[in-house]
Amino acid sequence: MNYPFWNVPHIGSGWVIGLIAIFHVMISHFAVGGGLYLPLAERKALREGRQEWLDIIRGHSKFFLVLTGVFGAVSGVGIWFAIGLTNPEATSTLIHNFVFGWAIEWVFFMVELSTAAVYYYTWNRVSAELHLKIGWLYAVASLFTLVIINGILTFMLTPGDAWLAVAGTGHEASRFWQAFFNPTYWPSLFLRMAVCTSLAGIWALVTCSRIDGTQKPKLKTGLVRWSAKWLVPSFVAMPLLLGWYLWQVPESQRALLSFGMTTIGTGAFTQVTRTVLIIVMTSATIVGVVYFFAWRSPTEFSFSHALAVLLLGLVATASGEYSREMLRKPFVIGRHMFSNGVRERDMARFNAEGYLTHSPWITTNAPALARGEIMFRGECMACHTTDGYRPMKRLLAGRDREAIGNLLGMLHDYKPDSPYHAFMPPLVGTKEEIAALGDYLATLSQPAVAPDTAPAKPALARR
Amino acid sequence: MKALSSIYTWADERLGLDDLLHFAQKKRVPEHAHSAWYYWGGISLFFFLVQAITGVLLLIYYRPGPDAFESTRQITYEIHFGWLIRSAHSWAANLMIAAIFVHMFSVFFMKAYRKPREFGWWSGMVLLLVTMVFGFSGYLLPMNELAFFATKVGLDIPNSLPVIGHKIATLVRGGPEVNEFTVQRFFALHVVVLPALFIPLLGFHLWLVQKHGNAVPPAEEAKPPAQRKSIPFFPNFMMKDLAMWLIALNVLALLASMFPWDLGAPADSLKPAPTGIHPEWYFMSSFQVLKLFGQWFPGAAGEALGMILFTLGLVMWFLIPLYDPSGKSGQRARWATYFGLFALSILLVTTIWAYAALN
Repeated sequence: MNYPFWNVPHIGSGWVIGLIAIFHVMISHFAVGGGLYLPLAERKALREGRQEWLDIIRGHSKFFLVLTGVFGAVSGVGIWFAIGLTNPEATSTLIHNFVFGWAIEWVFFMVELSTAAVYYYTWNRVSAELHLKIGWLYAVASLFTLVIINGILTFMLTPGDAWLAVAGTGHEASRFWQAFFNPTYWPSLFLRMAVCTSLAGIWALVTCSRIDGTQKPKLKTGLVRWSAKWLVPSFVAMPLLLGWYLWQVPESQRALLSFGMTTIGTGAFTQVTRTVLIIVMTSATIVGVVYFFAWRSPTEFSFSHALAVLLLGLVATASGEYSREMLRKPFVIGRHMFSNGVRERDMARFNAEGYLTHSPWITTNAPALARGEIMFRGECMACHTTDGYRPMKRLLAGRDREAIGNLLGMLHDYKPDSPYHAFMPPLVGTKEEIAALGDYLATLSQPAVAPDTAPAKPALARR
Repeated sequence: MKALSSIYTWADERLGLDDLLHFAQKKRVPEHAHSAWYYWGGISLFFFLVQAITGVLLLIYYRPGPDAFESTRQITYEIHFGWLIRSAHSWAANLMIAAIFVHMFSVFFMKAYRKPREFGWWSGMVLLLVTMVFGFSGYLLPMNELAFFATKVGLDIPNSLPVIGHKIATLVRGGPEVNEFTVQRFFALHVVVLPALFIPLLGFHLWLVQKHGNAVPPAEEAKPPAQRKSIPFFPNFMMKDLAMWLIALNVLALLASMFPWDLGAPADSLKPAPTGIHPEWYFMSSFQVLKLFGQWFPGAAGEALGMILFTLGLVMWFLIPLYDPSGKSGQRARWATYFGLFALSILLVTTIWAYAALN
């Protein structure tokens, strides 16, 4: 409640992060995997005297520099803007706990960007040995950006008992290392490294597919097959790593995976299961396409084949990131802060003193419907919109005021046997605040609202 | 590997697998600017196979008659991955019809109906019609509100035909109203009668494709043989065909997982029909034509006239190989192309019009 709300109509603010983050992950993981690919490919070419390989690798490194240095860097900063606006409470917690981590991340990031540029611009200008060393420097720097950010990302799912024991005491930063090397840190790191090597192979296949297989069959066969091999380790290890990762995820969160096995019920949290199906399907297809088209017929491996693999990789990565985000529900920071920014320890206080009374952003004498709308913005809008993504109009369709009141009562009581307990945060606030929210939601579920009862504009305080 | 090789030799001695393989390697498929259209028949076949497999899985839990809705509810909300099988079945049905439409128009515009491929065209047309009846009969089986009223509206169409219309509609419904007996009849049609018609006809269609090979468009035919390119059927074309199947499978999986088919409310004949009730998209064109004729010529005569016109158009479409039989592109070939463009435009315009009229 310390910050104003960011209202993004139709798609919701969460999807702004989602869209930028999915785009960023595709590039940033390539930045790490490609960082290994480039020096390894260069080393192989130098050792085996494959001059033609070096020409292709040089072209690939230009593409790599533009994609990661421009689009990757810009989208990474975009995530910062988006998370700060969407969930400022959670972003604030991350900054306060990991300020040292962010600082290291930025150091490696600067080294990564600089060496990527130096690597490209020093082709044939410095000795082959030195050029290769620059490549290795890049590889290490980019790998460490992953090593650092992975600690912060996994912290959000599994902050660990040590950190939770001091959460809210002002001494959270004293448990930096325990929070950083949290229960899902290592499986997640290896899982992401596996994704990185796959994406390095997939993006390299895009470059290699453009070699004329009729004119240069030997060159194309060699490079396409070598790049295709980059997918092997990850696809062999992926099921095991995924199993390890899920084993470390708390049982309550893991249960979200099986929600969608039996039902597609409206409002039930079934998307995770369905998204995981997409990951399995697209990953299996990538294996099939890469084996039959890249490995078996490398000279005929075309640009459209490579783009198809890239598209499948994008779908699989996007589905994976979406599932990972969803596994955290109802929290944004596991067992500490709910997805709407309310801390678990603040529940009782907000229920007794009021949710809105703790916000500096509203006037206290606002009309009831306006207060209801602000309650909606604060407590529901992190995951719901009125008429777009997870729309209240559809989810509440057919419910009268009493039914909405009963639903809100169930969300407020937050009993362990509630069907919403597993994936929705509790509804906090006084009885009057919850009644105001109910009145506001009733105007959404019943479209034909008389003009005099239409929701008033939120009474935002002028500051 | 040695064990696999001896199994192959054992089977080859009895089934002549080597002969088949040599035949497939010898067979060639033309390659030109319009080759992409060759895959649509295979994609349609793929969706049919999905229909057969998911259909059999649905049969395990589905109960026609009075339990139709309840059993579909169980499939959708209780049985593990029942929703996925049902969604895949529904999506594949729609994708199959869409793929057949693309296949049909590509065959038409590439003039692949000409001598000696007339029977390929005719059998394909019958396959499309049977597929549409598959769609119509399958739509009712969940017996939800939407299916009930859409079927009711759909069966009003034959009802408008003079003399025999009422009798046909009553026979299909199993009485004066759409009810559990209609579901029972549609179920028998959907899982026994239609497959019994479809599968032999499909076999005939595929045999004809095998016998005559892929047709080339007139522009390609005009080139001297030395300039025409082709690729071996096995493994080159088959690999590409399988890649298309893989793409189709991914599209289907995405749609079925991300947009699972909703069940809706149970059918209730006492309730008023929901607003904007309409048939599936592939019947929207005929629905709109009948609606328009009903408005232009009030009374039963309008709809009957619409039906007759639509049937006449279909007959002309069916008989096109007899009108444009020549291998050379002359005046008749041009007229046939214009007729195809006209039919495609009518189909698209009336379908869009029908959806626009709903809003």
